[in-house]
Amino acid sequence: MGDMANEIKLLTGNSHPSLAKSVADRLGIEIAKTMSLNYSNQETSVTVGESVRDEDVFILQSTAPNNINDGLMELLIMIHACRTASARRITAVIPNFPYARQDKKDKSRAPISAKLIANMLQTAGCNHVITMDLHASQIQGFFNVPVDNLYAEPSVLRWIRENYPDQDIVIVSPDAGGAKRATSIADRLDRGFALIHKERPRPNVVGRMVLVGDVKDKVAILVDDMADTCGTLAKAAQTVKENGAAEVVAIVTHGILSGDAVNIINNSCLSKVVVTNTVPLGDKQERCKKLNVIDVSPTIAEAIRRTHNGESVSFLFHHAPAV
Amino acid sequence: MVRNIVILGGNSHPKLVESICNSLGLPIGDRTLSSFSVGETRCEIKDSVRGKDVYIIQSGGGKVNDHFMDLCIMISACKTGSAKRVTAVLPLFPYSRQPDLPYNKTGAPLSKQPSTVPGSPMPYTFESVPATPAPGIPMSAGLANGMDGLSKRLNRAQVSANNIHSPAAVAMPSANGPHEMNGGDTYFKRTDSSLTLGSSRTPGAFTTHDYDKMAHFTSFQGKPGYKQWVAQAGTLVADLLTCSGADHIITLDLHDPQYQGFFDIPVDNLYGRPLLKRYIQQNIPNFKDAVVVSPDAGGAKRATAIADSLNMEFALIHKERRPTKITDRQNATMMLVGNVANRVCVLVDDLADTSNTITRAAKLLKKEGATMVYALLTHGVLSGDAISRINASAIDKIVVTNSVPQEEHKKMCPKLEVLDVSPAFAEAIRRVHHGESISVLFQFD
Repeated sequence: MGDMANEIKLLTGNSHPSLAKSVADRLGIEIAKTMSLNYSNQETSVTVGESVRDEDVFILQSTAPNNINDGLMELLIMIHACRTASARRITAVIPNFPYARQDKKDKSRAPISAKLIANMLQTAGCNHVITMDLHASQIQGFFNVPVDNLYAEPSVLRWIRENYPDQDIVIVSPDAGGAKRATSIADRLDRGFALIHKERPRPNVVGRMVLVGDVKDKVAILVDDMADTCGTLAKAAQTVKENGAAEVVAIVTHGILSGDAVNIINNSCLSKVVVTNTVPLGDKQERCKKLNVIDVSPTIAEAIRRTHNGESVSFLFHHAPAV
Repeated sequence: MVRNIVILGGNSHPKLVESICNSLGLPIGDRTLSSFSVGETRCEIKDSVRGKDVYIIQSGGGKVNDHFMDLCIMISACKTGSAKRVTAVLPLFPYSRQPDLPYNKTGAPLSKQPSTVPGSPMPYTFESVPATPAPGIPMSAGLANGMDGLSKRLNRAQVSANNIHSPAAVAMPSANGPHEMNGGDTYFKRTDSSLTLGSSRTPGAFTTHDYDKMAHFTSFQGKPGYKQWVAQAGTLVADLLTCSGADHIITLDLHDPQYQGFFDIPVDNLYGRPLLKRYIQQNIPNFKDAVVVSPDAGGAKRATAIADSLNMEFALIHKERRPTKITDRQNATMMLVGNVANRVCVLVDDLADTSNTITRAAKLLKKEGATMVYALLTHGVLSGDAISRINASAIDKIVVTNSVPQEEHKKMCPKLEVLDVSPAFAEAIRRVHHGESISVLFQFD
């Protein structure tokens, strides 16, 4: 193709270079030359080192825990930079959508921050969004531009099939909100399902838990969309174990693992915690031997390729590309 | 008492919020503003804002991105809480300075790369280019051997530089004791020998979040034939505030007056000039004989405005950005236009960040025979090792406003004096709320 315009340009910020690298490798392209750094007054500066005029720009930016706002501003500035540099189309690839949990006005005068982020992305000049396992799929409705919400489910299913081919497993949802996600996996595997009902007095604090369903002498697989402080997960694992499960494994899409999460996992009765690489894990894998990682870069790369070529993305909702 | 109004403050400058509220005779609006364990901002407005006129005060210093997101989320929360009108009050407007220079040119406000190889400490000189700090990262080119040796060295340098004009002895700061900056012992460690101004022209003078891939960034080059450029976030920040739901902006001394045009909503740009002018009149003896100096061509207009209204003389320093040969007369790249010999100089600028410009300007002024150098600035961001530079510099007195918190700076810098801008903001808020003209605040005679 050579110098022809409208090719895929993959840009990335500083949040998750390794994911960007594997997506670029998968697409067989180089990551575009940009650099983002901080001024001494902690403002973010983005330098663009190559032309994006009339190109199909994809900006991959995950958000690292405790760096959420910096990562977000970096992404917004990059989008805006590409827009002012006459890119043909700008797609924000945000594997873990920030502020996804602040998606409703649950108290008086509480902000709907997810909506604000959606507005900000569009204001910056984003024409399309690719994300994965949104906390609530209704967030897609906050946008006036197309949003492709990819699923980690096919990759998760493959991991379960490869690692627990014959065992007697049961899929457990750690809260009522995740029941749909868990039942879908249970159905596709043709296995049993259980649910934990929990009372949550305050955010990041876990109350009493009640298990509904049979887990006795089975491998219980807890399935959720994100694990943040892991308090819920550890408590749920405890509840499942107390109900007689032989082994407890947790599979979550977004392993945010903020705060004391690594210690909580290490001290919990979970035998494995499986996360995808949507969130940069840093040194957490060294600090936590129970942590397993599923690579979702093939799914993201394939979504980028299909979006660029104008092909349907829905195939990826049920199939994970071969690794 | 002002009615039907709610004043909310961000976390960037609680002191200023307090004094603005005191001036208005209002309580500070109750809100929760913290962050979740993951780092996402958590905000809740406790007071009812339905049908109210809401003012949210948030400055642009410190952790700029966090503070900016906090502000946007608060604005959005008030809007969804049915506030009648939301006004964002930004004493220091974030991203208002938009450097268009690539990172590796001298003068670009980017920092040095933190060195990873420990080595022999380098002396700190006037020509040292300031480093960019980031939380918890050692990056300063700081003071390897403390303030004592520095003052001595500087005194010596001063004498040899000024022996022709023999101006009054430069008051050097006493040693401040150990510097209380984060980064601990690593803060002052210095490794490579490329600390002088000249060598900072080599690529690699910057920091980044991605410390693992430093080599990748050090060798950053645009594609062949493509001139790399720095994205300018000005319009974006304006748009983001508007899209969050801000109906009105009140700010102080925007770096570019054109910035107002980036907004589709009204922007009231207050001026710090009246305060600076009053300071000159009241605190500088025989100010009519002093010279107002602009440290760069961009600030000439600001400085001439003050000089004209006070009937003072004016001088200008021209900064040359072209790479020149490095000699001992490094200041050849800075040219003074005007006569300052045996006079008091008043440097006037809108913002000092790393304070590279003003300290170098002060040095040049002393060299040209100035007896005393005041530096008057609206915004004293003073990031990085700016304070150390000022302490070590030829500036005798630095005056800033409290548009960003100055308590920490004041502890470390005996030359620093702080002017209070809260009355101006309180008056602007009162007038905007009552629908009165605020143009009287722009007149500073």
